[in-house]
Amino acid sequence: MFFSFSNPLAMYLKTRMIFINLLLFYSNKQKQLMPMVKQETYSVCALCRGTKMLCGKTRCPVVVRYHSKNKIQPLIDKNRIDGSSPPSVFIGRIGYPKVAIGPMIPPVMGDTSMIDTPEQWLDKKIEDIVDFRSMLIRGKHIVNIYDVETSDKIVEYTRELALADNSVYAEALFERKPSGRIVFYDEVQPHGPSAPLKKFDITNPKYERHIEKAYYDTDLKANEAIFQLYRDGVQVSKIQRAFSVGAFGIKKLRRFVPTRWSITAVDSTIGETLMKKTRTYPWINEYRIYYHKQFDNHWIILMIPCEWQYELIEAWYPRTTWNPYGRGISIFNSYEFYKGRTTYAEIGGCYYAARLAVNETLNKERRQAAVVVLREAHPGYIMPIGVWNVRESVRQALKQPYQKFDTLDQALIQVSKTMDIPINRWIKNSAILKNSLYQKRLEDFHEN
Amino acid sequence: MFNVKVKSDVLKGVIDVVSPLVNEAKFNITSKGISLRAVDPAHVAMVDLQVKDKAFEEYKANEMELGIDMDKLASIMRLSGSGDIITLEYDEDTNRLIIKIGNLIRKMGLIDTAGMPDPKMPNLNLPAKVVLKASELNQGVRASEAVSDHLALTVDKDNFELYAEGDTDTVNLKLPKDLLLELNTTTKCKSLFSIDYFSNMIKPVKGEDPITIMLGNDNPIRVEFNIADNKGHVTYLLAPRIESE
Repeated sequence: MFFSFSNPLAMYLKTRMIFINLLLFYSNKQKQLMPMVKQETYSVCALCRGTKMLCGKTRCPVVVRYHSKNKIQPLIDKNRIDGSSPPSVFIGRIGYPKVAIGPMIPPVMGDTSMIDTPEQWLDKKIEDIVDFRSMLIRGKHIVNIYDVETSDKIVEYTRELALADNSVYAEALFERKPSGRIVFYDEVQPHGPSAPLKKFDITNPKYERHIEKAYYDTDLKANEAIFQLYRDGVQVSKIQRAFSVGAFGIKKLRRFVPTRWSITAVDSTIGETLMKKTRTYPWINEYRIYYHKQFDNHWIILMIPCEWQYELIEAWYPRTTWNPYGRGISIFNSYEFYKGRTTYAEIGGCYYAARLAVNETLNKERRQAAVVVLREAHPGYIMPIGVWNVRESVRQALKQPYQKFDTLDQALIQVSKTMDIPINRWIKNSAILKNSLYQKRLEDFHEN
Repeated sequence: MFNVKVKSDVLKGVIDVVSPLVNEAKFNITSKGISLRAVDPAHVAMVDLQVKDKAFEEYKANEMELGIDMDKLASIMRLSGSGDIITLEYDEDTNRLIIKIGNLIRKMGLIDTAGMPDPKMPNLNLPAKVVLKASELNQGVRASEAVSDHLALTVDKDNFELYAEGDTDTVNLKLPKDLLLELNTTTKCKSLFSIDYFSNMIKPVKGEDPITIMLGNDNPIRVEFNIADNKGHVTYLLAPRIESE
């Protein structure tokens, strides 16, 4: 990577360094109290300045963010933004039940639907995703979550936007110039600068017809609406967007749902319904391994011929998003046995996203299996880009032809050949692998 | 024909025994009582249940099978108080079970029993036998739940021992012979079991009531106890965990 010191990037990095030094000074003083700062690698950045890759990542996140900020800055340096919303909305969660709702508008025209359709992002690079997501300017308007049907124009237009099928021309007047840089979340796709909304207008949108039907059916329960739409072939991202503006459910129960929660709510609801069917199908006949690599994440899906069980195990390499300071690989898992689980998964939304994808495949084949999803997040996965990455990557893996094995041992040998982490470490961190290897069945004792 | 009156607590006891293992159960009805044998979907545990006609307030029945959705029955039984007498009647014409709780009549559709298997009880060589109070065992299992997902049970000629080990914590419960109601073994026996399953198996037994345990070496465990004022009997089998590697 090349740049001269007279350019603005160097200036940017220099101001960063001052900030970093301050932070370091502060953190030495109260090491215990310092909050966990996500995905930043302060000390080495100052030494590296985007050239030596000291943080172990293959590309520098500071530089990636800087470039994408620079491209967008001149376009949004004003109070009034107009453009073609993909359509896209954002419902915040801070201050719940009084949250910031509003549209997301990029300062460009034409068909922008790709910007808010994660289903189409698998062939993109992380830099590209950061690039086009950072164009989305978020308007903020504080409302009570129960006020989904007020005469407030901003509420009304936000909802209309969320129900729209195609990109919609939108115009927003902000109280001040949009500020901030691109924002990352663990579950939600990143978006760009934001500002409080003053006025907001859109041209008449065309609703997605299935979603429109569910919206006007005020006796249809939200979970039934979600599954019906899913079965009618509506994209999960579209269902989730409409769900977040309280478009489904029994009328008096409708409310805004923060975007972050709505993603997992939809993943979990669809998965739950599919799972009920999965449990009634015959077992698969062989041990299967599916493999896929995406955004420097390595995915293995191991299917075992027995009753329905599910586990997601994530291994974060040092210097990746959720293991920024670690020296070793950290491994986390969540699982459920046949009966399912009643508590929220320890590893969060991605558990439910992968569970949806897995059940989708089993249902298509009308087969039942125990499924273990193994994920290795390597250093090239430089920033969190949202739970959709898990759903779509697992879907993609399950589209690949699988390898067949007669025994669990053979399948596990293949896992250790494909993945970097030794198989014993996977087993040690897996409830279902341990269960399959060690838990005997009553049939095993019939001969005695 | 199946037409009985039963105390709500007896029926709830039956549900507590069966529903942790299976959602759908086939009850075999005879003129002498009801029985059931079922294996859980993972084929790890088996329940064998006998309830004599004497356990019921009134009992009139011919030989037949009833396929029951246990979750549904459990939710219906939540409508009843602990002293209530429940009437159960099979309606042949509609294939439904008519449940009367006081003045409430609830008709419940039955499940087809045709595809439901009759599992065989494996012949096991289990040399160790221990009888102990439910409360003692319960305490050990509850403590183990917090540290691990499996526990080891050991019986030698002087002691019954329960041991669980997590990453950092351990649990040990050692009961010498004089604290047990009975201890009988020819050799030292040890097997490992899933706490999840095991705790469900001892949960239906309350307080000071005795539980009988039969144990072998890396063999299934047999857990037995009485329900319905000793007019019903439960046998559970649970396959062990064997950590060879």
